[in-house]
Amino acid sequence: MIRLAKSARVAAFVGVVALSGAALTACSSAGNSSGTASTGGGTYTWWDPYPQHDASSDWAKRVDACGTAAGVTIKRTAYDTTALTNQALLSAQEGTSPDVILLDNPAVSTLADTGMLNTTEGLGIDTSSIDQNLLAAGVVKDKTYGIPIGANTLALYYNKKVLDAAGVDPATITSWASLTDALAKVTAAGHKGITFAGIGTEEGSFQFLPWFWGAGANLKQLDSSQAVAAVTLWKDWLAKGYAPNSVITNSQNTTWEEFLTGNFAFGENGTWQVDSAAKAGFPTGIIQIPAENGGAAPAPTGGEFLTAPVQKATGRYATTKKIINCMTTTDGQVKTATTFAYYIPPTAAGQQQLLAQKPDLKAWVDAVKSAKGRTSDNLGTDYPKISQAMWTGVQKALSGSLSPKDALVGAQQAALKATR
Amino acid sequence: MRATQTRAVGSPGTPGGAAITSPPPASGGLPAGRRIRSTQWAAMAFAAPLIVYLVAFYAFPLYRNIELSVHDYTIRAFVQGNAEFVGLANYADIITSQTFLPALRNTALFTAVSIAFQYTIGLGLAVFFRNNFRLSGVLRGMFLIPWLLPLIVSASTWSWMLNSDSGIVNSVLQAFGIGQINWLTSPGMALVSVIIANIWLGIPFNLVILYSGLQNISPDIYEAASLDGASGWKRFWYITFPLLRPVSAITLLLGLIYTLKVVDVIWIMTTGGPGDVSTTLAVWSYREAFGTGQPAFSPASAVGNLLILIALAFGVLYLYVQRREDVS
Amino acid sequence: MTSRPRWWKTALGVFFTALMLFPVYWMVNVSFTKTKNMRADPPHWFPWDATTEGYQAVFHQQMPALATSLLIGFGSVALTLVISAPAGYALAKLRLRGTGSLNFILLVAQMIPAVVMAMGFYAIYLRLGWLNTIVGLIAADSTVAVPFGVLLFTAFMSGIPEELIQAAKIDGANTWQTFRSVILPVCRNSIVTVSLFAFLWAWSDFVFASALDRNGSMIPITLGIYKYIGSNTTEWNSIMAAAVVASVPAAILLVVAQRYVAAGVTAGAIKD
Repeated sequence: MIRLAKSARVAAFVGVVALSGAALTACSSAGNSSGTASTGGGTYTWWDPYPQHDASSDWAKRVDACGTAAGVTIKRTAYDTTALTNQALLSAQEGTSPDVILLDNPAVSTLADTGMLNTTEGLGIDTSSIDQNLLAAGVVKDKTYGIPIGANTLALYYNKKVLDAAGVDPATITSWASLTDALAKVTAAGHKGITFAGIGTEEGSFQFLPWFWGAGANLKQLDSSQAVAAVTLWKDWLAKGYAPNSVITNSQNTTWEEFLTGNFAFGENGTWQVDSAAKAGFPTGIIQIPAENGGAAPAPTGGEFLTAPVQKATGRYATTKKIINCMTTTDGQVKTATTFAYYIPPTAAGQQQLLAQKPDLKAWVDAVKSAKGRTSDNLGTDYPKISQAMWTGVQKALSGSLSPKDALVGAQQAALKATR
Repeated sequence: MRATQTRAVGSPGTPGGAAITSPPPASGGLPAGRRIRSTQWAAMAFAAPLIVYLVAFYAFPLYRNIELSVHDYTIRAFVQGNAEFVGLANYADIITSQTFLPALRNTALFTAVSIAFQYTIGLGLAVFFRNNFRLSGVLRGMFLIPWLLPLIVSASTWSWMLNSDSGIVNSVLQAFGIGQINWLTSPGMALVSVIIANIWLGIPFNLVILYSGLQNISPDIYEAASLDGASGWKRFWYITFPLLRPVSAITLLLGLIYTLKVVDVIWIMTTGGPGDVSTTLAVWSYREAFGTGQPAFSPASAVGNLLILIALAFGVLYLYVQRREDVS
Repeated sequence: MTSRPRWWKTALGVFFTALMLFPVYWMVNVSFTKTKNMRADPPHWFPWDATTEGYQAVFHQQMPALATSLLIGFGSVALTLVISAPAGYALAKLRLRGTGSLNFILLVAQMIPAVVMAMGFYAIYLRLGWLNTIVGLIAADSTVAVPFGVLLFTAFMSGIPEELIQAAKIDGANTWQTFRSVILPVCRNSIVTVSLFAFLWAWSDFVFASALDRNGSMIPITLGIYKYIGSNTTEWNSIMAAAVVASVPAAILLVVAQRYVAAGVTAGAIKD
């Protein structure tokens, strides 16, 4: 009989409360110290969006090492990216922000706008050696609010076996026309063409932007003819069967899984899959995403910024600055690059050192150099709203609810309304 | 519900009934007036933990949600705490938004169809399992397994199964000669797909409650009915179903309230898309607050409150019907 | 009416159960699948090319999270019962004044979306110091079950014949003693039902855990799973493996508890 007598149940409850009470006092004392100023030996809190790197990982050890070098212990918490921004807002509201947050770059301007982040100038951190196109995402009204720890971007991975079987040479793919031709040849030879992520979240916008910018379109004008051309490109691929229907709900991870089956000629994905591509059961390579009429399309930058939220105890900033500087030395950047599935260092020195170690990353370094921040062009806090309108429009066009033109006209109206 | 339960359980006339015609020699010999008050004290003492609990845990979130919806909480205002009071402007905004009518329609469809099927299938299974046969206990227990799974797992599994190209459902359909159905990506089928997954998730709840309700119906009634020659379907329709009405009513009401709140399933399977095709009010509220790079807490809480009002309307309806039944 | 052979019912039962649990089978299938076969078209019915890397990851990393989930589950059950059983009695039998409004408030309480609750709790817990604690999470998880529990207890306790209670009063029991020795034993099945619901809801909760216990030293399995969801990559076989491993003890609990949820409430109590 599994039912406990009531008294036993009450005892169990009291026991749980007592146990947790002990844990509670331990936890709350650790939590309170972040509010007090400390010069030597204290706890600094660090939030990042890398839950796949737990306490025993190289990344965690590096973070700890930088803490020790600065004379403090770092308490690190990993959130998934979507939860991180909201948790940051909640804690800023309550005045309990952590000391360092690694923010996805499009979120930096949004949080900076609330006044919860310190400027790098204010903290005395030098950002002059950082590549301008990579720093741009963290610049709001000429003030810089963080340092990128590295950047990644998108390219087209190809499956050499499938391309050879169809008689396509990847070096000849330099424009949309040549890409579509290649897709036609590949599907005629019995394989699948291309896969990408068109999901209704920021990931979808991220993957759509190289084509959008490659057509010459501008995020301030979502219904321009160039923008319509970009959406029509995707839509035609779907209609002709060059891209599978699942792209409408694909995340980037799903796209990669599809590519790994070996049936696809092309998969649009990022630097972070370099190791996985090397281990795939078929030979792979990458080409830059082509622009409509030739050349490489600007791809959006991914990657996080190290930011220092505003604290009540301003005495903490000296140590925070030490920690941030420790993480962003040239050596540190290269280490981050290799730990993190290839974040490209944001400085020329870092990039050179990385290439010395891994020369086959040259194509990616070039891609990152010509990449563009999503919040640049002075979009700042408008970007998230425009992005949402854009992915909604793309989804409507791809799923056939609206024609590409109508979908984008609706998107532009929504974007204008939201950014009024 | 009260009255029906007592009727169903069996007639009075238990041993000792004869002694209960007059007030028993009360322990302690308290006069009648004092006794009534002490019962009220006891009642309040028993209900006190609940009342404290309700105030502590529900009052504040509800208050906060209303407060969020009548101010203009841009995220800067959220962090700095200086939001402007805008009265009902947020509500006006969401009602005139182009997402409002589709969301309302989708919510109505999603809820009505989900509940109808969950209830019917749950009832059918409850009746099926009623007569114990070999393994019926184990099988009934296994029906609750979907409930154990974290929603991210169950919703993701359904996404996998319904994937247009690599999903098992399309694979099976193609084996039968039916063409590829784009479950999650076509405007026509996206809502259907999330409804199917939601029905699957809701069957265990309905099964358990309806099954318990069935067990409360005394077999004596069935014996009497079979003596009168009623069998099978007639038995169900004229005896079982009416006796089950109070349990059904509460099951349907709770099912409605829970279904109105559903977000995870839809979000993980389609993120409310493509476009707004599978966006319900709950999903819309979630998306405003957490689904984009610019959290918009005020519209999100306005939609959330609208949802609570709709649920409230049904709750009031339920209580009204209850009261009429109790009187009759 | 046992003239018909029962085996066909068992067969039909097995068929229905298999149909219902097919997605669970699929989950197990994915948990053994290698990443490169995840999106195979057509999909593999059976993981011929199996891998145990998901399970290895789970056994190395998730066991503490499983234990935490169990603790939170049982804690939530205890708290729910302690609050809702006496309240149910008060509403059903003690003729509490204001029963109608309390019932109404309980209904409203269940209408508030979890996300709204979580955001409200964050503010409260911060001031109480309950963030990142098990106690806080137990209290939060129980908010899903308590209104339901009160509803259920009220319904079942209303059906208890007055005679039982009067009999106890004659024997000199006060309200508390009546509650403990007469009402509770008779309500055994509703206690198990409410416990089951409370446990299951707490077990699969994610929203509260995510908002309130992120950086705790003890996190439940629903959060543990997120370890496998990186910013751009997801290890599905590990996630599904974690779900499978998490389900096994709870499934056993379920099957055992079903027996008690089954039987009638007072049917056994007054039959002679």
